Amino acid sequence: MDQNIGVYLCSGCGIGDAIDIEALPAVGEELGVSRIVSHDCFCGPEGAKIIKDDLASGDVNCVVLGACSGRVKSEVFDFDLMNTIVERVNLREHVVWCQPAGNEDTQAMAEDYLRMGIIRVQKSTLPTPYLEALDKTILVVGGGVAGMQAALDAALAGYSVKLVEKETELGGHMLKWFKNTPTIPPYHDIENINLSSTVDEIKNHQNIELFTGAEIEKIGGAPGMFDVTLQNGAGAFKVGSIVLAAGWKPYDATKLGSLGFGQFPDVVTNVQIEEMAKSGSLACPSDGSAPSVVAFIQCAGSRDQDHLPYCSAVCCRVSLKQAMYFKEQNEETKVIIFYKDMRTPEQSEEFYKQVQKSGVIFVKTDTSKISITEGSEHKLAIEAMDELLGEPIQMEVDMAVLATGMQPAVIDNPILNLEYRQGPALPELKYGFPDSHFVCFPYETRRTGIYTAGCVRQPMTAGRATNDGTGAALKAIQCVELSSQGKAVHPRAGDMSYPELFIQRCTQCKRCTEECPFGMYNEDIKGTPLPHPTRCRRCAICMGSCPERIISFNNYSVDMIGSMIKSVSVPDEYEEKPRIIGMICENDAFPAVDMVGLNKMQYPPWVRFIPLRCLGSINLVWIADALSKGIDGIVLFGCKFGDDYQCHFIQGSELADTRMSKIKETLDRLVLESDRIRLEQISIDDYYRIPQILEEFTARLEELGPNPYKGF
Amino acid sequence: METKIPFLEVSDAIVMSGAETLYWCMQCGLCSGSCPWRLVPGEASEQFNIRLVQRMGQLGLEGFESENCLFACTTCRTCVDRCPRGVDIIGNVRGMRSMLAEVGTIPGSLKPIVGSLHSQGNPWSGTPEKRTEWTEGLNIPIFSPDTEYFLFVCCTSCYDIRSRKIAKSVAKALESAGVSFGIIGNEESCCGESIRKVGDEALFQKLAESNINLYNGKGVKKIIVTSPHCLYSFKNEYPELGGNWEVYHYTEILADALKAGKISPVGDSVGPVALHDPCYLGRHNDIYDQPRQIIESLPGAELKELSRNRKNSLCCGGGGGRVWMETKAGERFAELRISEALDAGAATLVTACPYCITMLEDSCNVMGKSGELKVMDLSELLVEKL
Repeated sequence: MDQNIGVYLCSGCGIGDAIDIEALPAVGEELGVSRIVSHDCFCGPEGAKIIKDDLASGDVNCVVLGACSGRVKSEVFDFDLMNTIVERVNLREHVVWCQPAGNEDTQAMAEDYLRMGIIRVQKSTLPTPYLEALDKTILVVGGGVAGMQAALDAALAGYSVKLVEKETELGGHMLKWFKNTPTIPPYHDIENINLSSTVDEIKNHQNIELFTGAEIEKIGGAPGMFDVTLQNGAGAFKVGSIVLAAGWKPYDATKLGSLGFGQFPDVVTNVQIEEMAKSGSLACPSDGSAPSVVAFIQCAGSRDQDHLPYCSAVCCRVSLKQAMYFKEQNEETKVIIFYKDMRTPEQSEEFYKQVQKSGVIFVKTDTSKISITEGSEHKLAIEAMDELLGEPIQMEVDMAVLATGMQPAVIDNPILNLEYRQGPALPELKYGFPDSHFVCFPYETRRTGIYTAGCVRQPMTAGRATNDGTGAALKAIQCVELSSQGKAVHPRAGDMSYPELFIQRCTQCKRCTEECPFGMYNEDIKGTPLPHPTRCRRCAICMGSCPERIISFNNYSVDMIGSMIKSVSVPDEYEEKPRIIGMICENDAFPAVDMVGLNKMQYPPWVRFIPLRCLGSINLVWIADALSKGIDGIVLFGCKFGDDYQCHFIQGSELADTRMSKIKETLDRLVLESDRIRLEQISIDDYYRIPQILEEFTARLEELGPNPYKGF
Repeated sequence: METKIPFLEVSDAIVMSGAETLYWCMQCGLCSGSCPWRLVPGEASEQFNIRLVQRMGQLGLEGFESENCLFACTTCRTCVDRCPRGVDIIGNVRGMRSMLAEVGTIPGSLKPIVGSLHSQGNPWSGTPEKRTEWTEGLNIPIFSPDTEYFLFVCCTSCYDIRSRKIAKSVAKALESAGVSFGIIGNEESCCGESIRKVGDEALFQKLAESNINLYNGKGVKKIIVTSPHCLYSFKNEYPELGGNWEVYHYTEILADALKAGKISPVGDSVGPVALHDPCYLGRHNDIYDQPRQIIESLPGAELKELSRNRKNSLCCGGGGGRVWMETKAGERFAELRISEALDAGAATLVTACPYCITMLEDSCNVMGKSGELKVMDLSELLVEKL
C-alpha cells in the first residue's frame, strides 16, 4: 500500500492552550506529510467527520491523531484496521497534563511525540492475518464437574466438543462422594449429589463426542489446528482449543506417618470417609464397630513446609460435612475437630455455625504437632496443645480422620503430552499448579488455546469448579473464534500481526525458542525455529531476544522503535537540556503514565516515552541507538516480576532485567556509566512514584554530565 | 504443663443445665474483650475470662469454680449483645453455675442468701411480716380484684432501710399519677431472678411457683415492678411457668403519666443530672427512653449523658448475684460510674434499680464524693417535685 498519511491535531482538552498547535505541522511537513488538519474537538461529530471523510475519499489511509491517550475514546476513533494504519499520539495525558503550559520544553516534547508517531506509521504496513487455523472444535480433558460443565456450555453455544475422560464413567471425584456441602440458602444442611442429569445431558447432546476410559497420547499443532491423538488408537482428531479439567488427587497420606496413618488402621483420610459413607456405614476399619468418638485432623499435610505449603481451601468444609455424616449416623457420636484455622468462606460460615450448634467440638491447635498413640478406653489417644485453653489436652477417640489436601492432577503426569519444544506439560508456577495470573487471568495458561478449569488450576469447591468450567469454555470459544480470524487472544486480543522471521539469517541460537513464555516455536532438527502463529500472544519477547534482529511484526519492529528513538531531537550539550528515552510496558506502565497526567502531576520535560508491547520485547540495539544519538539516559518501566509477577506475558519484565544486567557490563567497557540505564518495576497503582523516579533519574544524569556521544 | 483430660459427659451435663448455646461459641474472645472486668484491677479481673470459662465448659474441664471466676459474671449482657455467634453467654454461665449449685459448691457468701430464700422467701433474712414495714406512715392500698395494677416491690426495697425510700417514692409517685395499684402484703416471694443467675434452679422454680400461684389466685393481670430484675424475671422467665401478666417497670408507667399530663413536676431546679442505665432495664429489657423522659420533665433538669450510656452502659457490679458478694474497693465498676458522672458535670446521679442504688451509693461514699454527687433513684428525684 502507498501510504497517505493524515495528521490530525486536536486543540481540545487544554492542548491548544498549552502548546502552539500552529507550530506542529512543520514536524509533519519535515517528514513528508501533506494532509495536516487541526480542530478543537476531533472526538465530536464535526471533528470525527473530517477524518472519516478523508478516509472515505481515499486521500488518507494512515491516521496520526495527536490528541488524547489511545486508551480513551476508542468508540469514536474506531477505524477499519484491515485498511487503515492508526497511531494515537498522546498529547494530552503525556504532554499538556503533566507539563507547564506555554513552555518551549513542553512544545519540544509535543513535537518529538508527533515525530515519533508519524515514523511509527511510516514503519508499519497493513496486516496480513494468518488465516489457516480454522478448526473450532473444543477438546475438554476430564469429565468431572468442571469438565462436564465446560463441555456442556461449549456444546450449548453451538461448538463441537470432544470430551475425554480417563475413567469409564463421567463424574470425577464427586461420583465417589456421599453428600455435598450446602449450596443453597440457608446453607445449613448437607445436600444429596445429583450428577445424573448433567451426565445424561452430555451423553445425549449431539455436539458432544464422549471418549471414556481414554487418555491423551499426544497433542501437536497450535490453536485452531491442534492434532489430538488418544492412547491405544481410541481416536485422532483436530481441535481448535482445549480445556484441561483434569482435577486433583489427594495428598499421599502415607507421607503422614507422624499422624499415625499406616500405623493405626483407624486413622483414615477424608477421601476414605466419603467412600465409607457412600457404602452406607461409617465404621472403624480395625473391627467394623461404629465409632462413638471421632476426631478430624485438619491441615493434615497442608500449610506445612514439610508437605503441602498451601491451603487447599475446601478441607475445613469437607470435615464439617463429614462431621455431620457421623452425627446423622448417630446423634450421640462425639466429634472433635482439631484445626489450625477454620476457613469457611462465602456462605459456609452459616454451615460452620450449624455444625457448631450440633455439638461438634473444635480444638484450635497446630495440627502438625498432634500426637496420636494407642489409647486405653478408646482405640486412639490424641494429645494436642489446645491454644484456646493454653494447655495441652488428651482425648481418646475411636477413629481419626486426616483432612488431606489437594494436588493438581498434573503434578506427576503432563496429561496433555504436548509436542512442544518446551516440553509436554503446562509450565507450572508453584506447587505443581499450571502457571497463570490467577487473580487477573485465571483460566489462562502459558500454552495459548489451552485453558484450565477446576482443581487442576487451584483447589476449590465443586460449586466453584462448575463455574470454572463455564469460564474456561468461554475462553476456549474466544480462542477458536479469534484464531480463525487470524487475531491474537488475550492480552492483545484482536491484534492481527504475528512474528515474521527472515529465516535465512537465523543462526539457530535458540534464544527465541527458549525465551518465548508461550512455547510458540518448535524447532526443526537443526534447531531452526518453527513458528506456530496462533500460539503467539504477540508480546514480541522473541523480537527482543533475537541477536540477529530477524524477527519483526508488520506493525512492530526493531527498525521501527530504533527509528523513533533516532527521530527525537537532541539539543547540544551546551543547552543543558538532557534527553531521556522511557521505554515502557503498554499494559501497566503506559496507563500509569496516563494516570500521572490525569492527576496533573508534573515530571521533568526531558523524557520521551515509547510504549512497548512488553518490556521483554526490548532489543539491545535500541539502547545502542539511543546512546549513540546522544540520549543521556534510558528509563525502562516493566511490570513486577518474581513469584507474584504482574507481567501480562509472564516473564517479559524479568527477561528485560536480565538483558539489562548484561548491557551494563558492555556500557562499563565503553566507559559509559551504567547508571544511565534504569529499570523500574511499575504496576498501575504505582503511578504516583513515576514523577519522583524521573526527578531522581534526572538528578543522577546531571551528576553524570551530558552523554559524551552527543553531537557525533 | 499438666495435660488436661476433657470430660465430654460433663459438658453434656452443662448443656442440659441450661448452657444450650455452649457449643455455638467459636472462641473469638469478643466477650472477654467486652467484659467490664477488663476495666478494673484485681483478682476477678485476672481470673475471670468468660471466653476461657466457656472453653472449659465445652471440654468439661474443672478450674472455673471460684467466686472470682465463674461467679464474677454480673450478667450485664454486654458480651451477649456483641457476640457475633449469638451465643447466650449468660445462659451458659447459668448452666455452668447450676452444675455447681446442684452439688452445693457455690461460693460461701451466697449460702446465707440461699438459706434465707428457702426459709423466708427473700434474700435479706427478713421475716414475711416485715415485708410491709416500708408502708408505715403511708396509705398504701392492698391489691383487690378491682385494682388495675399489682405493685410488686423488690425484696431489697422491702427490707433494706435505704432502699425502702425507693418503694415509698415509687408508691407516692404512682398515687400522684392516679394509678390504680395495690400491694399484696406479706405473702410475696422474691422474684428469683438473681438466684437463678447464681445457678440455683430448683430454688428459682420454687419461688416462681409460689408467686405465680399467689398472683393468679389474687386475680393479678398487670404488674408494676420497682426493680428491673423483677421486670426481667416476670416478663421473660415466668410466662413458660404459667405467669402471664402485663409487666411494667415503674418508669414506663410514670413516663406515660407525664405524657398524659397526669403529673407535672414543679419546684426548684434539679440542675445537672446524669442517668446510669441499669443493665436489666436497658440491655435486658430495652428501656432507655422513659427514664430520660422523666428526667427531662423535671424543673431545670439538665441531662448529662455518661460516656457509656444506653446499650453501652457500664454495669454497677450488682447483677448475677454479685450484689451479695464482696468486691474490694478499687476494683468496683460502680467507682468508674461515679467518676464518669463527675466527669460529665452531674450533681445528681440517678438510676432506676435498687441494686444499682446500693452499689453506686456505696462507691460514692467510699470514694468520698458524696458531697459532690448525690446518688438517687429516679422515683426519689421525681417525688421531690410533685
